[in-house]
Amino acid sequence: MKDIKIEVKDLSLYYGEKKALNDISMLIPSNKVTALIGPSGCGKSTFLRSINRMNDLIPSVKITGQMLVEGVDIYDKNVDVVNIRKKIGMVFQKSNPFPKSIYENIAYGPKINGMKNKTDLDEIVETSLRQAAIWEEVKDRLFDSAMGLSGGQQQRLCIARTLAVSPDIVLMDEPASALDPISTSKIEELVHELKEQYTIIIVTHNMQQAARTSDFTAFFYLGELIEIDKTKTIFTKPSKKQTEDYITGRFG
Amino acid sequence: MDTIEKTEENIFFSSNNKKSDLKGTLIVGSTLASVILIIAVLFLIIGIIVYNGWQTFSWEFVSAFPTDGMTKGGIFPAIIGTFILVIVMSIAAVPFGTITAIYLTEYAKENSIFATAVRFSVRTLAVVPSIIFGLFGLGFFIQFIGSGMDTAFNAGELHWGQPNILWASLTMALLTLPVVIVSVEEALKTVPRELREASLALGATKWQTIKKVVLPGSVSGIMTGTILAVSRGAGEVAPILFTGAAYYLATLPKSVSDQFMNLGYHIYIMSTQSSDVEKTMPIQFATTLVLLILTISLNVIAVIIRSRIRSKKL
Amino acid sequence: MASHLEIELEKLKNVIVKINNLAENQVFEAVGILLSEPLSDKKQVKKTENKIDKLEVKIEDICQSIFALQQPVASDLRFIMSAMQISNEIERIGDLAMSMIKLNKNINSKYELVTKFNIEEIGREVEKIVIKTNVCFQNLDAEAIGEIYILNNSIKQKATAAVQNIIDDIKTNSKSIVSGMNLIMVLRNIERMGEHCTNIAESVYFMINAKVIKHEKHTDKNAEEE
Repeated sequence: MKDIKIEVKDLSLYYGEKKALNDISMLIPSNKVTALIGPSGCGKSTFLRSINRMNDLIPSVKITGQMLVEGVDIYDKNVDVVNIRKKIGMVFQKSNPFPKSIYENIAYGPKINGMKNKTDLDEIVETSLRQAAIWEEVKDRLFDSAMGLSGGQQQRLCIARTLAVSPDIVLMDEPASALDPISTSKIEELVHELKEQYTIIIVTHNMQQAARTSDFTAFFYLGELIEIDKTKTIFTKPSKKQTEDYITGRFG
Repeated sequence: MDTIEKTEENIFFSSNNKKSDLKGTLIVGSTLASVILIIAVLFLIIGIIVYNGWQTFSWEFVSAFPTDGMTKGGIFPAIIGTFILVIVMSIAAVPFGTITAIYLTEYAKENSIFATAVRFSVRTLAVVPSIIFGLFGLGFFIQFIGSGMDTAFNAGELHWGQPNILWASLTMALLTLPVVIVSVEEALKTVPRELREASLALGATKWQTIKKVVLPGSVSGIMTGTILAVSRGAGEVAPILFTGAAYYLATLPKSVSDQFMNLGYHIYIMSTQSSDVEKTMPIQFATTLVLLILTISLNVIAVIIRSRIRSKKL
Repeated sequence: MASHLEIELEKLKNVIVKINNLAENQVFEAVGILLSEPLSDKKQVKKTENKIDKLEVKIEDICQSIFALQQPVASDLRFIMSAMQISNEIERIGDLAMSMIKLNKNINSKYELVTKFNIEEIGREVEKIVIKTNVCFQNLDAEAIGEIYILNNSIKQKATAAVQNIIDDIKTNSKSIVSGMNLIMVLRNIERMGEHCTNIAESVYFMINAKVIKHEKHTDKNAEEE
């Protein structure tokens, strides 16, 4: 089953007593872009954060069901969550570069994993920055502070930083929502290029962005997965009326 | 071009806002006046000290030993003693306080009883009168641990079971511990949650995140906390009254098991118990001046370090 | 590097060029048969007809996809709207060509009729107009639009004249009624091909100038173009 990267089986998530995700089951294909759409509060971000177990940071969270990444349930007791996050990277809504130099930001991940050799690090930094389409803009100021970059550049830096640890899967939580249109389209193009090497799952509240960039789209509503299908199908002839109503703007 | 008619209807010109503005002005004004008053008093105090102490203040004063029953000479040993006290105290308080603060902000679970107990203890410790620390130092460090050590290592011979630098510093460390913990806690909290998340999302462990992201980001706060603690330690007298300070020692202390002289203690004894209070008056003022200079310099250094670290980040 | 949208638009353009070329070939075949030139594979002609139909569906599909997923605006939007209309027209031209080929069976002693009523000239003109229309779209050639209108008018004139002549001929020689009727139908097909070409030209005008000139008097348009 090489085409499927993640299999979600009856996944439910509780914040204390409140059920935020209700029996989600879906298949996420490899090397494709899957978009998660839905109105605010529908659970798409919560679901995304379940994939790399970032929800573990919230003490009252409880998860039932299975999240199988390449056949392994990442919520299994024997699994080391730190290793999961090396394989499943995340780019956040608001870019969060470390207050260090650009070089140090990218090298952070590899260094954590034990890489010490300067040449190796240099190479990874350059490769990652190239992959994130920002190398040309920063190659002459690698040791300047990352905080001096513009919003769009910072976000691409964060993407490069995530790529530097060579994950298989890249999760993006509304990566362009805080950016201007030109930066947004740069990020969208980047997503398009990256899918050849990575499996990408992107949460977006901007339907048109989902339509432009993704191969598959999943529609969430009130903590449930309503429909998941090829993006073209979802946006031309969705099977569920709820999906159609949302996409045509009739509600939410 | 026509000018706007100033009519009653034109709200641009209404004067309702001036009334509430007046209230604001009064409040700000009275606050300003109080601040000026406080600063004036401060300058008055400093002025008196500088005026009276300046005559006796000299290089010799700072580098010589006291003579003639404290009526002449210098206060060199008191300065050294204060320094040693502060250094040993910092070595004890800062690492321990930092680790406690890290535990409280990074590791403690929200409903952990243990963490709540720790926090409560820290807050309480901060308001305990300093003389109580002195008594605790005497009873616990000197009479219990010190005597115990003598029984165990020196066959009962009195060595550790008496006042010295070590016990005084540890006592002082207890006093300044809450300051360190709170400052470091505050500094750690200023590191935004997003940075921790970013680090964890890259596959770092919690400790790696703390070491590489949180601590570097809160260094200025840790420095500030340390220097505040040191500043307090340099000035407090009550904790060292029974635990190690002496009025007059012929030589400088050679190890932590020796007693030491101290600026604050020196001023206290000179002004209340010396053989000739009048004659020691000039030295009192000068010693006070030295202590003041020391404390102010420390705080200035703290501010400078903090601003330099901040500007490096940007 | 080309954006996602640009790739899709390029794809669309290529398919339209393809369907254009196929239709062109069909028209050549039809005219060729009419003028008694050797007929190439009948099966091939049928195959081409199927291909044209398939491509038309494909074009619609691509357009729908781009509309839904890429939110095209401005010139891209006009291009896609035109693409749908043009592919429709092309498909009709292909149909007309097929119909012409079928009608040929029933035209006897063709040669004489064809030469008698100067059909060859009309046939060549319709070939020309189809080629010109293809070029006009590919190069977004504004000048060609005017030329297409002129050609169309010429075809209409000649065809109308020829039809009249055939009718007169039938009146005098009733034996030629079947051939004559079929030839008239062929000529009508040719006329309609010309109309479809002008429709395509109008779509190209829309693409270039964002102005819709459908349903306006074509003679006025000529003056504007020149």
